[in-house]
Amino acid sequence: MADNKIYWSGLEELDRTPEFERIESQEFPAERPADEFLADDRLQRANTGRRDFLKFMGFSVTAATLAACETPVVKSIPYTNKPEEITPGVANYYASTFYDGHDFVNVLVKTREGRPIFVKSNTETGFGRVNARVNASVLGLYDSARLQAPHLNGEATTWPSLDAAVSKGLTGSGRKVLLTGTVMSPSMKRAISALEASAGVEHVQCDAVSYSATTEAMRADYGRRVFPSYQFGKAETVVSLNADFLGTWGDNVWYTAEWAKTRRPEDGAMSRLHAFESGMSLTGSNADSRTRVKPSEQGRVAAALLREISGQGAAVVLDETVMASVKAAAADLKKSGAKGLVVAGDNDLATQRIVSAINRALDAVGTTIELHENPSLHQGDDKAFAQLVSDMNAGKVAALLVDGINPSYHAADAAAFNAGLEKVGFSVSTALFADETASRCTAMAPAHHWLEGWNDLQIDPNRIDLVQPAIQPLYDTRQPAESLMAWAGQPADGYTLLRQTHSAAYTADAMYTDQNWNTGVHNGFLAVTVPEETPAVYTGADLGGALRDVAARKGGTFELDVYRKVAIGDGQQAGNPMLQETPDPITKTTWDNYVTMARVDMEAMGLNTYIAQEEPASVVKVTVGAKALELPAFPQPGQTPGTVGIALGYGRGGGNEAIGKAAYQVGEGGDHLADAEGNLVPIGKNVFGLAPVVDGVPSRAVYDVSIEATGETYPLACTQIQHTYMGRDSVVKETSFDDYLAEAGVKRGDASWNKTIGLNVHDDINGDGEINALDKKAAGEFDMWHEHAVDGVGHRWGMAIDLTSCIGCSACVTACHIENNVPVVGKDEVRRHRDMHWMRIDRFYASDWNMERGEAEGVGVISTYGKMEEPGANPQTVHMPMMCQHCNHAPCETVCPVAATTHSNEGVNQMTYNRCIGTRYCANNCPFKVRRFNWFHYPGYDKFQNFNPAQDAIQRMVLNPDVVVRSRGVMEKCSLCVQRTQGAKLEAKKAGTPLEDGSAITACAEACPTNAITFGDLNDNASEVRATYDNNRTYHALEEVGIQPNVAYLTKVRNTPKA
Amino acid sequence: MQQEAAIREPLILGNKSYKDITDDVVGPIQGKAPLGWKIMITISSVIAFYGVGCILYLIGTGIGVWGLNKTVGWAWDITNFVWWVGIGHAGTLISAVLLLFRQKWRMAINRSAEAMTIFAVIMAAVFPGIHMGRIWVSYWVLPLPNQFGSLWVNFNSPLLWDVFAISTYFSVSLVFWYIGLIPDFATIRDRMTKPLQKKIYGFLSFGWSGRAKHWTRFEEVSLVLAGIATPLVFSVHSIVSMDFATSVIPGWHTTIFPPYFVSGAVFSGFAMVQTLLLIMRKTMNLENYIHTKHVEYMNIVIIVTGSIVGVAYLTELFISWYSGVEYESYAFINRFSGPYSMSYWIMMTCNVVSPQLFWFKKIRRSLVATFALSIVVNIGMWFERYVIIVTSLHRDFDPSSWGEFHATSIDVGVFVGTLGIFFTLFLLFARFFPVLALNELKTILKSSGEEHKRIQSDGKSNH
Repeated sequence: MADNKIYWSGLEELDRTPEFERIESQEFPAERPADEFLADDRLQRANTGRRDFLKFMGFSVTAATLAACETPVVKSIPYTNKPEEITPGVANYYASTFYDGHDFVNVLVKTREGRPIFVKSNTETGFGRVNARVNASVLGLYDSARLQAPHLNGEATTWPSLDAAVSKGLTGSGRKVLLTGTVMSPSMKRAISALEASAGVEHVQCDAVSYSATTEAMRADYGRRVFPSYQFGKAETVVSLNADFLGTWGDNVWYTAEWAKTRRPEDGAMSRLHAFESGMSLTGSNADSRTRVKPSEQGRVAAALLREISGQGAAVVLDETVMASVKAAAADLKKSGAKGLVVAGDNDLATQRIVSAINRALDAVGTTIELHENPSLHQGDDKAFAQLVSDMNAGKVAALLVDGINPSYHAADAAAFNAGLEKVGFSVSTALFADETASRCTAMAPAHHWLEGWNDLQIDPNRIDLVQPAIQPLYDTRQPAESLMAWAGQPADGYTLLRQTHSAAYTADAMYTDQNWNTGVHNGFLAVTVPEETPAVYTGADLGGALRDVAARKGGTFELDVYRKVAIGDGQQAGNPMLQETPDPITKTTWDNYVTMARVDMEAMGLNTYIAQEEPASVVKVTVGAKALELPAFPQPGQTPGTVGIALGYGRGGGNEAIGKAAYQVGEGGDHLADAEGNLVPIGKNVFGLAPVVDGVPSRAVYDVSIEATGETYPLACTQIQHTYMGRDSVVKETSFDDYLAEAGVKRGDASWNKTIGLNVHDDINGDGEINALDKKAAGEFDMWHEHAVDGVGHRWGMAIDLTSCIGCSACVTACHIENNVPVVGKDEVRRHRDMHWMRIDRFYASDWNMERGEAEGVGVISTYGKMEEPGANPQTVHMPMMCQHCNHAPCETVCPVAATTHSNEGVNQMTYNRCIGTRYCANNCPFKVRRFNWFHYPGYDKFQNFNPAQDAIQRMVLNPDVVVRSRGVMEKCSLCVQRTQGAKLEAKKAGTPLEDGSAITACAEACPTNAITFGDLNDNASEVRATYDNNRTYHALEEVGIQPNVAYLTKVRNTPKA
Repeated sequence: MQQEAAIREPLILGNKSYKDITDDVVGPIQGKAPLGWKIMITISSVIAFYGVGCILYLIGTGIGVWGLNKTVGWAWDITNFVWWVGIGHAGTLISAVLLLFRQKWRMAINRSAEAMTIFAVIMAAVFPGIHMGRIWVSYWVLPLPNQFGSLWVNFNSPLLWDVFAISTYFSVSLVFWYIGLIPDFATIRDRMTKPLQKKIYGFLSFGWSGRAKHWTRFEEVSLVLAGIATPLVFSVHSIVSMDFATSVIPGWHTTIFPPYFVSGAVFSGFAMVQTLLLIMRKTMNLENYIHTKHVEYMNIVIIVTGSIVGVAYLTELFISWYSGVEYESYAFINRFSGPYSMSYWIMMTCNVVSPQLFWFKKIRRSLVATFALSIVVNIGMWFERYVIIVTSLHRDFDPSSWGEFHATSIDVGVFVGTLGIFFTLFLLFARFFPVLALNELKTILKSSGEEHKRIQSDGKSNH
């Protein structure tokens, strides 16, 4: 049947008509009129003239050109196998721990699409709060100057050949030494023991910034060579003898938050901080009482305190005002008893012994001071290091392994170390960069960045903090513990090594099954039980020598104190442009170190005391013995006359080492400057080793330096050039704790120290039947706009900043910088007042003058204003974080011609970059001057090539993908981290629950170690920020301008001693 | 024909006839360019090109090439803008207001004063454009229907008012000026012998035939335009002043600004007219048309407006003290005693003290003194805007942001460049356009020309 089936498309086909057959035989059934067309003589006559031809050609060329003009396509490739936990656009957080030999803090690392982009404190399961150095360290991960492979004799090599070379190097005869910073890692300690056992390598610890005077004092007094664990949270009275415990000294990441807990006026009690120091430190700027002393007097201040408290020792000679402060401090300490705490920052054995005796006299050991046998920070042994250097120079060292430190830069006698290093048979460094030390070593075995590898760390006897990788290693690097194991002949990968440290029975099969471990990694620590410790017992060591030593100290015309700045610290991150550009909280100076001097001294020497855009600093020559260096002089209010201060951590990379592009000075065009020999010019000068080594302890003070004017000048880039707030108490409000207590219960707006500002109106407001000066209307009640309901409608984001808690540490500045892709603009632009920080911290000094005094003393108004610009000689200081105030009546919004800045219905003043045409009118009309303009194309212009992360192919990976990188010519400013609030709203919406207080938080509030910044929904009656609006300390800055900000400040309360 | 009081000085000197006027005005256009003109235009166009280079560098690199910063967001740019707009006030005032008041002496100066206005407004318009961070989207300030979404301009913003004010002023001034030029172009056309020139001037004169109907319409249009232009003279600078007056910045937030700015503008505008005309009358032999009488009249305007400006300065100072607002009083104390006090005292000397010299008749009628003082006044008026803008911004509410402004070479280059462009345009005008409203001038020849008065009194006429 099937065979017979015939298909046909028409009856003609079925019938095979002749007509059909004819058509079928032709390819084109209908006739093509081609001949006709070609034969048409009109065609021959048709004139496709030159003009038409040109038109057509022009069109075609233009069309083709335009079609070719396509913006470059950046392809993103989706995951073939999507990792379970990574969703593009959704951030992941990993608990980890930061330790750089100094700061030790539990953190959460935020990653996006596998890239770590932000570091914040792990407040849930961890201790300590990140500071600027910690949260900016994420930038270092992407530094393209990092070593990208192991090196041998300056050539890149492979790990097996490096390992072979090291193993060979370790066979030499002589001392074989592993030189590290303080090792806090149990796994590292295990690897060190393995290496000790297999190759006879000795372990020497040496800290970049030595604390050995403290640890030696503890050994003398308690037989334990440890750095005490200070419990600032338990202290009622703290006396700091040049110990900047809020900024750089000791375990500051832990102290800061603890201390702030004792500083809440609402609690009805506040701790009191007395500071004795020569230069103005962050701690001194936050002290309730600050006394100016010279470095040579610090020991005597300690001795006088001791004598006041326990009657021990002979009377010492001190200035009258200093003695009065000592007595006041002693009285407070005695009152606090065991809840008193004295800390000293000088690395001076005698002072530390006396301070230890004071704390003992207070019975503070056990309450505010804990002395754990193990573990301890700052285990560096300077004497062992000095011995090592002399052995190296004597040719007795066969092999030197350096990990975690950079002695060629920071050793007290770096020249001797370098000379010795040349005589060492074989040397290897595990540094991330070919830094001063590593570049001098035979081999370089680069370590992972802390965000790339596994590690464990221990600072608390009860827990092991874990470090977990947040990204695959970017380069061919290896964890130092892994390297040591390899050199010990027991190669193991870092992870296995770590697991085996905590569970000897660990095998790869058990990788995921150990629930204890999994919880540990999730929380960032493993709980461990430790045997009961015996309490520390005083050895009865004699103090007489120390007391005699300090009593005999004499200073020269000038004394020097070397200190550390909050952002740069010991200089490890000198190549981090964000830290270089973070203004010092005290001097507000970026990108340099300098000599801080008292104004009177500078005037006597004829140096420039007004440093601004076109007023460069005068350069002075500082001579200490045979060493001399030249640095610009900075007039520092509060600096003790006859003393100078210079920051450590500068002058990195003096030998052209590859430690990061941003570590070197650039010219105005953006190219690196070079000296006569073609070497790059480091930023600032290195002052490690300027102070003498006393009794084997590298001191940080010099009692006799000479300072000479050189007549040269040098520009400094300061973000703030006006030092006082000119008596404008609607900008800053402050009071004393006693005055606060007197009116603690009054309603907001009524207290004498925080009165609502009223403006006179021609209306009988108070109802006394008369219109006069008493008729005042609160500034917030004036309104020329149509009423927009803001209270109770949807969200209304707001912020409250407690000036009492804010210590000015600048962690918020760097956090904001990283979160919001704020460009780094470099020194020259900062000098021109074009820093881009969305969040800045205004630092105001108190002046000795005000209008009342001017009037009382008959000084004219103009002269009084002039005098008010000058800070007092030992001024009180206010740190005031300042960012967009998100005014409900924003002056910026009305003046924008194109409505690029508008108010959101959530109370946020928002900036539409795409719409901005860059008239800058909004910035002019901003009373707080918080708006930042993109003066150049920061991500592309040559001037910024050597420091703006957005210009580095690798470093730009740190940019937050949730925040756009702004183009040239547009205005930008604080958005209250709108990307975060939107994210939190989305999460709440997905979960179908109301937004929880605290789920949306800005980067600055999150970073604040003292919880000075509160962010939340003002329309949420249960929110913390709403509660602050009822606090009687709350005020709005510049309230009388009528701008009604959504950011509020809480009056600063100082616990000043009664005069 | 109205009669002149016998004691009045004649407006046109030198026994001119109608033909003389035509010859004096059209002659230079027909003749070869004099050497002096060639030298001047070379210098000014070199400066103009330098300025254009600076502007291109600015646009190519970013606003950062200027000395502005986070505290001082406007400085030379807006100073120059207001200065040029101010200068652009005199022309329209002379042609429109004085036309309405039937001030016949204006006829000798209105043409070039108006040209000056046009060119000054063009220079002024350069600055709001180039001061923008993204000049390539500057058209967003125009309320154009668009497809960016429902985006519209912000009518609350004084900058937007500026856009309307300046563009209206410019277009009305331009039309007014051009209408006046039409009969004069026709005269030139009629005298030109070379075909190309004839064609060009023929085109420019829009087929003017000199018929009575044309003249009637001409008169009517002039009057109507004068009526439109007069309020603009006052509105433009009032609105420019609102850029400052409506802000919250101490030193800007001042209700006195509109009248103060308008009188300042007239003040500087007349000074610039003096500067230009005193050169022009000399180099183009127009001494008979623009003479001491004109100069003196303009100097009187300068005394009046200068005194108003002076009173405004003092009022500001008084109010800042009287208000009791600490920011306000500090802003003014800082003006005269702070880091920029030099600018303040230059302003005070040039604008308040120097014009008072014109109370002396000898100085008022001295061409050399007038020339010198006219330049002094314009320097003073530049500093007035600089003082208002920079000293108010550099220290406002929050002392932590107090800063400094320092001009860069590009700031200077752009400003000097606009001077170059302005003078280039003016020189081109002087060479190719009728610098005097010759047909209008002819209407006053019989009432004020010396020769004509003589002939009239003799009862004879030479026509």
